[in-house]
Formats: sequence, C-alpha cells, structure tokens
Amino acid sequence: MILIGEKINGSIPSMAKAIAEKNEAHIRDLAKKQADAGASFIDVCASVPETEELDTLKWLFDLVQSVTDVPISIDSPSAKIIAQAIPLCKRPGLINSVSMEGDKVDTIFPLIAESKWECVCLLSDDTGIPKSAADRLRVFGNLMKKAEQYKLSPNRLHIDPLIEMICTSEDGIAKVTETMQKVKAQYPTIHLTGGASNISFNLPMRKFINRAFIILAMNAGMDSAIIDPLNKDMMGLIYAAEALLGQDELCMEYIGAFRDGLFGEGK
Amino acid sequence: MSKIDEIAQAVETGKSKLIEGLVTEALGEGIEPVKILNEGMIKAMGNVGEKFQKSEIFVPEMLVAARTMKKGVEVLKPKLAAGDTTRLGKCIIGTVHGDLHDIGKNLVALMIESAGFEVIDLGVDVATDTFVSAIKTNPDTKVVALSCLLTTTMPSMKETAAAIKASGLSGFKLIVGGAPITEDFAKQVGADGYTTDAASAAVLAKKLAS
Repeated sequence: MILIGEKINGSIPSMAKAIAEKNEAHIRDLAKKQADAGASFIDVCASVPETEELDTLKWLFDLVQSVTDVPISIDSPSAKIIAQAIPLCKRPGLINSVSMEGDKVDTIFPLIAESKWECVCLLSDDTGIPKSAADRLRVFGNLMKKAEQYKLSPNRLHIDPLIEMICTSEDGIAKVTETMQKVKAQYPTIHLTGGASNISFNLPMRKFINRAFIILAMNAGMDSAIIDPLNKDMMGLIYAAEALLGQDELCMEYIGAFRDGLFGEGK
Repeated sequence: MSKIDEIAQAVETGKSKLIEGLVTEALGEGIEPVKILNEGMIKAMGNVGEKFQKSEIFVPEMLVAARTMKKGVEVLKPKLAAGDTTRLGKCIIGTVHGDLHDIGKNLVALMIESAGFEVIDLGVDVATDTFVSAIKTNPDTKVVALSCLLTTTMPSMKETAAAIKASGLSGFKLIVGGAPITEDFAKQVGADGYTTDAASAAVLAKKLAS
C-alpha cells in the first residue's frame, strides 16, 4: 500500500494554528513521525489565501525536507501554484492533484513528463463530479488520452474515483468500486487512490466507516491512500487487509510492521 | 560484528537476499565452511527455534529463517567435504498414508535440516512400504519422522509405525508428531520420541541421533 501521510494540512484546525504561529518544531515532528510510520509521501497542504500559498508551501517543504527524505506530495487546488512549487522540492514526489477541469492537466502533465513525479488524478471535469460509474470512466478515458499525449506512463498515475459521503447514498460504494475495478482492468499498473475522510461525513463514529471503506476499496484494487499513518488501528487494518488479499508473502510485512510498532501495543 | 555473527543475524532475521553474499564473503576471508555452518547458521536456527518455543516469533519468521539458511547452505555445499562431520546423518520424513497436510511436516523438515541433518522428504500420503524401502535404501538413516494432521489418519500412523518395527530394520529412532498426536499415542505406537512443535522436534532429533 502506498501511504500518503495527510497530517500536514492547513485545513486541519491544529495544523492551521501551527502554520499561523510558525510552530516549526510541531511541523517537523509530524513530518518525522509520518516518515517513521512508513509514509511513502508526505502530503503538504497550506490551505491559506493564494497570495500567501507559495511562500507557505516553501516554508513547509523546507521543514519537512530538513527531517526526512520521504518525498513530498504537493497539495494545492491551484495548478499554477503546484507548477511553481515543484522546483522547491529536493526530489520528485506526488502532485495532489489534477482533474479534467480547466487546463489543470495541460499545465501539470507537460511539466512532469520528463521526470519521476507521480500524480493524483481526480475523475471530475468541467461538468462537475460525474454521477455514475460510466461517466467517471468516460472522464478517465479522456484523462488517459492526455497522459498518452504527454507520455506519462500509467504507473505514475494515482486515480481517485472521487469518494462522496455515504450517508445520503443508496448503493453504498458500488459506484466507486466499479470504477476502480474497471480502471485497474484497463491499466493493471495504474494506482488507485482515495481519501477516506469524505465518506463518513455526517455520520457518528466516523472511524468505523473510514476503516470499513479502506478494506472494501482495497478489495476493489485501491493500492494508495491519503491517510494518517500515525493512526495505529487504521495501519493494522491496512496491513491485515494486504495479507488477506494475498499481497503479503507469508504475512512478513504484517509481522514486520507489528515488530516496528506501527500498530498494536508497541511503542 | 564478525562475518560469522553477520551470517547468524541474517539467518535469524530471515534476510535471504543477503545470505549468499555474506557466505561468499566469509569463504573469501578464509573462514572454514564447517565453522560458517555450525557457528553461523545452525546456531542461529537454534536461537530461532528457542524463540519460537517461547512464542517470541511467529511461524512465518521461522520459515523465512529456515529458507535463508537453506540458501546459505547451497553456497556452502560444494565446499563442505563429503565426510563432513557436522552432518548428523539422514532423517526420513513424511506424512502418513491418507493424510494430505504438509505445512507442519514441511516446517519440521526445515527445522531438522537446519539442525544439521540430511533430510529425505517423502512428501504427503506416503504408503507404509515407501517408508520401509526408503529406510532400506538409506541404511545410514538416524531418524524416521512420521506426521499426521487428522484424527482419522492416526490409525494409519499406527500401522506405519508397526510395519517399520516389524521390518527388522534398525539403527534409527522413530519420532511422531502432528496436531492430534499426544504423548500417550506416541507411546502406544512405540515411537522413541514425540514433541508438540517443529523447533523441539529438531532438538529431539538431534538428541536421539547422537
């Protein structure tokens, strides 16, 4: 599982406070802890007005890169900010994210074409969030045409089928899993990602919905997730699900993560 | 850390990708192959067995350790002289007729091999005659190990043990094991020994062979 550590995000109140107060120690500490917990990327989202965003991102990147070599996931709603932020990273990481809205893809794809940068792609376009799986797959088709045009191999793309809140849905995550399965069938090396946090919106005990979602989505092919790697219960479930799906020979990853204290009663 | 210690650690932690390089380096440093085997690998597997008995490690960790050792032994094999004194002799192992379960038997085979035996694994669903003729063709056999995993195949183990005894062949000890086997049952079939897990089976085999 590709784990994208979600904690350095200005839309989280405690992080917004740390950013406002320039609490460097707190941010460094969270970067280090997520790296130690096995994050493959450390997501950095400033969540400040666009006029301050680039400076804030640069400051956050420097803090993260001073404590770990784990690559950064640049999280911004603006493709232009992302484009300016790419050169500020010491090593290729992850773009979070582009979609088929406006000129996002045409801004980002050519910039990373010749590099090792990976990219999260949302299956929405100028019509908004497609209602059906078929519509999302149509957006996906258009996206892959762009990827081909700019010579981005599928294994550098993390497709996010868009996870909506479940409480008003009648068919659960069927739309999401169907999209995931069909995407994976077309491009076996492509990554499938998603943030669990939207799904549980407006429901009590959200953690149960989030955890059940991760497992069901992994079963549908999800191999990348934006999560809190310091959440030991979630980490235990992810390692357990990988083992149960036959993606962990002899369960050694599960045992190793347990030994490293990534879940369970350890450190 | 000495090269021998590095090898021991690689075996204990199941670093199968490193072991070939480490053994080759050790040989390059002029360390005796027998020393690499005994003090590096067999000793490490002894520790692994002990940890398993104390429930400090899990079955897969024992498996990868044994696998690592096997890989290391492959490198050593051509260097080990034919009359190698470290080998404890042959051990014939198999799951008795009618029983198809082999995970436990494989684990025991790996542990016994890791302890210094040459293991002849007859597989699963082994006919009584096959055990007897294997012992006949390998007169230097020191241990014969029978496994069964089902209560329904316990009578089959009884028959096999009786046939081996009746064959008049000697010079070896008979051990039995498997989920439904008890100390009592082992005595009933006339076995020389019985243990509850793979690690202690290896210790027992070693004791009986010496």
